[in-house]
Amino acid sequence: MQPFVLSRPKTLAEAAELASASPQDSALRAGGIDLIDRMKEGLEAPARLVELRWLGEADREVLRALGPGDERVQIGALVTLAQLAAHEGFGEAHAALREAAGSAATPTIRNAATLGGNLLQRPRCWYFRHADLVCLKKGGTACLAVAGENKFHAILGGGPSFIVHPSTLACALTALDAQVEIRGPSPRTLPIAELFVTPKQDSKREHALQPGEVLVRAILPKPGPEQRSGYAAVKEKQSHDWPLAEAAVRMSLRSGAMTDVRVALGHVAPIPWRSREAEAVLEGKPPSEALFAEAAKAALGGAKPLRDNAYKIPLAQGLLREVLHRVAGVPLPE
Amino acid sequence: MPDDQRVTLKVGFAEQLRDIEVQLPAGEPKPWDARSELKVVGKPHPRVEAPLKVSGAAKYTHDIVPPNALWAAVLRSPHPCAVVESIDVAPAQSQPGVSAVLALVKPGERVIFAGQDIAAVAAKTPEQAEAALRAIAVGYKTEPFVVDTAAAMQDGAPLVHRGKVTERSTEGDEPGAGGSAGQRGNIRTSPSMKKGDAHKGLRMAKVSHEATYTTQVHTHSALETHSIVVQWDGPKAATVWCSTQGIFSVRDEFAEVFELKPADVHVHTDFLGGGFGAKFGASAPGSRMGFIAGELARQAGAPVRLLLDRKEEHLCTGNRPDSRQHVKLGASVDGKLTAIHVVAHGSAGIGTGAGVGRNAFGIYSRCPNVLVESHDVFTHAGPGTAMRAPGHPQGAFALELAIDELAKKLKLDPLDLRLSHDEHPVRRHQFELGRKQFGWDAGRKQAAALRDKQARVRRGFGVAASIWGDFGRGKAVVATVSVLRDGSVEVKNGLQDIGGGITTVVAQVVAEVLQRPVEAVRVRLGDSELGPSVGSGGSVTTASVTPAVRAAAEGVKTQLTALAAKQLGRKPEEVTWSEGQARAGSKSIAWAELCKKIEGEAVVATGTRPETYGAYPVKFMGGNSYQIAGVQFAEVRVDTWTGVVAVERVLAVHDCGKVMNPLTARSQVQGGVILGTSYALTEQRVMDRVRGVMLNPNLETYKIAGARDVPRSIDVVFTPVDTGANNTGAIGIGEPSTIPTAAAIACAVHDALGVAVRDLPLTPDRVLAALGAVPTRGAG
Repeated sequence: MQPFVLSRPKTLAEAAELASASPQDSALRAGGIDLIDRMKEGLEAPARLVELRWLGEADREVLRALGPGDERVQIGALVTLAQLAAHEGFGEAHAALREAAGSAATPTIRNAATLGGNLLQRPRCWYFRHADLVCLKKGGTACLAVAGENKFHAILGGGPSFIVHPSTLACALTALDAQVEIRGPSPRTLPIAELFVTPKQDSKREHALQPGEVLVRAILPKPGPEQRSGYAAVKEKQSHDWPLAEAAVRMSLRSGAMTDVRVALGHVAPIPWRSREAEAVLEGKPPSEALFAEAAKAALGGAKPLRDNAYKIPLAQGLLREVLHRVAGVPLPE
Repeated sequence: MPDDQRVTLKVGFAEQLRDIEVQLPAGEPKPWDARSELKVVGKPHPRVEAPLKVSGAAKYTHDIVPPNALWAAVLRSPHPCAVVESIDVAPAQSQPGVSAVLALVKPGERVIFAGQDIAAVAAKTPEQAEAALRAIAVGYKTEPFVVDTAAAMQDGAPLVHRGKVTERSTEGDEPGAGGSAGQRGNIRTSPSMKKGDAHKGLRMAKVSHEATYTTQVHTHSALETHSIVVQWDGPKAATVWCSTQGIFSVRDEFAEVFELKPADVHVHTDFLGGGFGAKFGASAPGSRMGFIAGELARQAGAPVRLLLDRKEEHLCTGNRPDSRQHVKLGASVDGKLTAIHVVAHGSAGIGTGAGVGRNAFGIYSRCPNVLVESHDVFTHAGPGTAMRAPGHPQGAFALELAIDELAKKLKLDPLDLRLSHDEHPVRRHQFELGRKQFGWDAGRKQAAALRDKQARVRRGFGVAASIWGDFGRGKAVVATVSVLRDGSVEVKNGLQDIGGGITTVVAQVVAEVLQRPVEAVRVRLGDSELGPSVGSGGSVTTASVTPAVRAAAEGVKTQLTALAAKQLGRKPEEVTWSEGQARAGSKSIAWAELCKKIEGEAVVATGTRPETYGAYPVKFMGGNSYQIAGVQFAEVRVDTWTGVVAVERVLAVHDCGKVMNPLTARSQVQGGVILGTSYALTEQRVMDRVRGVMLNPNLETYKIAGARDVPRSIDVVFTPVDTGANNTGAIGIGEPSTIPTAAAIACAVHDALGVAVRDLPLTPDRVLAALGAVPTRGAG
């Protein structure tokens, strides 16, 4: 790792200003989990790190907020995964977020990793992370996974890059229909889907933030009284591993029928993958084992696997069925 | 000294005990046998060094910082195969903080794996060393390469070695294994293991099974990476701290490289953060670490610390080779094996040692016809090295899973099929014991019921066997025991404690003989000036060291007995010891009083261990030592929707002769089971076949089992055996305990699914593929 300057500005505006230079010059640091990894791996060597954890009271309050504000749930960018996983204010309605936060990484990492860092982290693709290799994301001409080792890569929405989006919270927040608030030269609030950039839009980046912009919080809409949600992931290794696939589901159960259904899959596509196909199968229907199997099939209908990752199709289907059973309260078959 | 003596020993196991006569060399204490009543040895005792380790006071090689020490860093080849056209290290010399720079290749030399040594620097800080490496200019002409084992076997594949490859043997290798019977292309054939006529046996078979099984490259990944610290003490002498399994192998290699007398190289390994066979000698298997650190230190005129990082540890320090094993089994309709034929190919990267045959050859010995043919396949990747039971876990996996698949065709219980072909009485006893304790019969029924109704979540039960030899070494260890006038007791030997607990066991042996508390025995190890010793490889440590320690302790006791006799006015033969007091008739003298009568500073004796003199009841193939037995049972849970395998329980039933310390022995077996589980489920070196580089040289995507991945319970049962091997009765356990784990888990997955997953690791993609759930492969 190369030496750098550490700045601890007192206001968000000052931080945004310090970070408005190019990524080579400066980087915002919150938990520092992914950033320091990238610096140690020799992928980046920013001359200055701008700390967000030392802001003055007023800004820190915004960035550390967690809980109902008005009728919506606000989650500050500096809220840690451990805080999300333990938050008692999340009931059935927001269980997906709690479960997602609690499943990521390790207890040690969850104690430091933040919502903002989790959403904006860079991909874990082993070509991107290999300091000696120049992949498409690093200015190369091709995604090296296509001809290479692509077991962990995208089966949906891939091309020209086949990374999978690494954020676990993103999958849950997509199912929960969250918005994100951005401060900077032009403050704005976006539906979470618009935070993410597909490789077809720009293969070098995964999110839409510009230098000098700071993601300050996520906002969950007020849930209806019957809203429930859930999240689960399948991993090769059960202690500290990146998922092979994730599924998050939100629905309301009214008079025996599922409404407002949202289905999101993670680690199957370069962005958190909302499945309108599965939603269409489920919306307005009474929950049943057969319907869930049909929805899972629909969710993966468009999958285009690479050489080594076709297994993700049945795996993601199995996972989605499991989450649907759990969220809708339909007992899983033995 | 008395002459050679014949003694009667009670040997055997469980109810099967008998007397045998053994010829002992002069001066050798009568071995502890089944009649011996021991008070300290065989009782659980916590590690004596545990407080140092948990408090951080224990100093590992990584913690050694001599005054003015410099940091070394090594530039490594980014290419799997290339000819070095030019190298200019001069720009590094002028970088800030740099004291010495070394080119490790010359123009015209060919590098043959990504990670190979190119150049090295020593600088004041690690950041300066890293920056200086970037200033080194190297021109490469890249050449065709091959990193995929199957591709390397093809005619016309890029050749890894242009000449004949000879083996570099270490103490980590299994004694008697290896050797060459020819080399063609990238394939080097090892001598076959042959009994009867396997081809004929297969022709005679009424029921047969044939399949290919593959296993992955497994990297050692010791917690403490390879590390060496060198300090020159004048031009012809050096002090070396090294993370090693063999202090004397470090001394000898360092002395050879720098043309020193071995006695002028002083090696320390006070504490060792793990070793699985790759830490012998001053260098790593794929990096000349001893030369690099020594030469940089010499040029800089200052001590140099060379501590590999995790990436280097994966790339150039050795690994367990992969394997592709084509197994053919033949049997009669009533379930008698007529043939076992294994053709194995395995890649040890640029190195040798991919043989897998001992399980197939040695365990189911009632099969009359066995042929095992092993081949090393060379690839442009980091070298293979002996790794905890070299060849065995991969051999066990293929053979045991094939046996299960055959049993299914024969409609036989796979445990019964094993019992009817295994002649080792201890292993048969272990199979029977495990069958009851594990609930095998009920478990198999439960698994079958879930399978029959196509349940989403299945259960499976598997079993596999272990084979190893008592390779305890004679005439290799000289231990010294001293009793000082203040009554304190010290034992010294130039052994390293690899982490298995030998420090504690040595203290127990001395405490047993001298009837002192274990805590009162000061154990000094980890220093080449403390007397000759063995490397910790081949599961030999306890069996080699404890008999020498006991002999030394008995020597001291003889002297103290004579002193006591003098004090008590009796003959030495009238003196007896109990509870730390010497007694003769009605008189006695307490330990402290007796020690005050020592003339001079101390009573000192050295002890050695003779060659192994007993091997009851079964010998290891081709040798004169006992064949160590073990079996493991595994229960798995498999989610057929996601393909995830969870290991619920492992029962490990093992024999390690006379158990010296049940607490540390159990811990070692649990470690073996955890290593085997990790190998079975997740660990795998991934090479990019297009670029020839390792894609997961870290502990994130090279996946080692964590707390949630290890079996929910690991039960360890020892079946003690008195073999008559040596005077403490100790034999090895480190390696046997990891041999059958992955095999048992794979057999359990077969039981759960009804189809075998024939490739390790047993990841969800493979489980789903075995279930037929994965659609046709995508276009790529």
